Amino acid sequence: MTDTQQTPPQPDEPPRRLTRSSTDSVIGGVAGGLGRHLNIDPLAIRITFVILSFAGGLGLIAYLLCLAFIPIDDPNAAPIRWGLARTAGVVLITIAALVVVLPHWFWGPAVPLLVVAGVVVYLLLRIVRDDGGTHLSHVAARIAIGIVLLALAVGGFAAAAAGAALGGGIVVAGLVIACGVGLVGGAFRGGARWLIAPALVLALPLGAVAATDLDLRGTWGDRTFHPVSVAELADGYEMGVGSMKLDLRDVDLPAGSTDLRVEMGMGEIQLLVPDDLCVTTDAEIGVGVVNTGGGDEGGVDVDVEDRQTVDSGVRHLHVIADVGVGAVQVGDRFFDWDGPRDWRGDRFDSLETGTSRAACTETA
Amino acid sequence: MSPRPGFDPASLISGLIVILFGGLLLLDQADVLELRFEYLLPAAFAAVGGILLACGLTGPPRGRS
Repeated sequence: MTDTQQTPPQPDEPPRRLTRSSTDSVIGGVAGGLGRHLNIDPLAIRITFVILSFAGGLGLIAYLLCLAFIPIDDPNAAPIRWGLARTAGVVLITIAALVVVLPHWFWGPAVPLLVVAGVVVYLLLRIVRDDGGTHLSHVAARIAIGIVLLALAVGGFAAAAAGAALGGGIVVAGLVIACGVGLVGGAFRGGARWLIAPALVLALPLGAVAATDLDLRGTWGDRTFHPVSVAELADGYEMGVGSMKLDLRDVDLPAGSTDLRVEMGMGEIQLLVPDDLCVTTDAEIGVGVVNTGGGDEGGVDVDVEDRQTVDSGVRHLHVIADVGVGAVQVGDRFFDWDGPRDWRGDRFDSLETGTSRAACTETA
Repeated sequence: MSPRPGFDPASLISGLIVILFGGLLLLDQADVLELRFEYLLPAAFAAVGGILLACGLTGPPRGRS
């Protein structure tokens, strides 16, 4: 017969009181205390505070409130350390600087990105701090490594594409070839297959840039050009990214043919011409749409060559448009019948062709 | 006949493909030729496909000798 051990009745445990932790403390022990009280990893709470701090300073305010109203668990501990004031001061100044220097970033959609970054940082720190033996740590490690690799690939794609589009295409192509040389050389030393990934990350966006003939060098933004005389009319207009509105209605071109080159890396070109002027357009677009009066032609590798017959002696403007990614529109009036007679700010004012095509066959 | 230890044919083939593809892109960037989607897309597919095929057919690398 064996003695059965009975668990002695437990006295009613007093409700846990929320206190700041004096042992798990980075600044004031708020996250440590909250984590202990809620049975949550304090690291997650710290990262949440940091993320919320970028959402209008919410996290910082919440932390300071907790610091002020939640007591410390050690009655003998100093209530506030000098380190806290110093740290809080630095954080406040940093946030103030961010608000002033980068207001759009601070108040903009950066918070979701910060949340993702926070999760990644948490998972990575979790791995570092954990012994790696638990199932959770394995899952966390895989998720974190996957996110990091994905971010690296996306960042590499974007960097390679931007570098190529901003004039560094030869350098990027050289790096691709260097990866290839490294692969060939590494083949005799046990293999260097890891170089395949950076080679493709560099080569594929460069290929996309090359195929679209994308060139982002030049002016960025929305620009409206309105020359009022032939003297003011430039030989060509070029922009990197944005919207180019070129109003030629007040330019009185001389008889004969005048060439005008317009180029855009990524964006739209709208060319408003006089309705009594013969206009022909040759357009080359990597990816996008072109409309010179005969309807939209869109897709990839769009080449439009104007076959309009032009009588000799007429005033003729020949537009040569080159766009990497975007749209070209040439017309002699705004599409809206009851619409405005001029551009309406940042709106896209659709153009159409009325009589300018017919002007090509009218002898001057 | 067993392959030489320390030699990875997949790296060699992949390297040659990458050099060819990079050379094509270099020629385009140097304005020697003008690549368009109709040429570049099949070239990119062929390059990636060739690399995958080389890695798949040769198996994992054998390590250093």
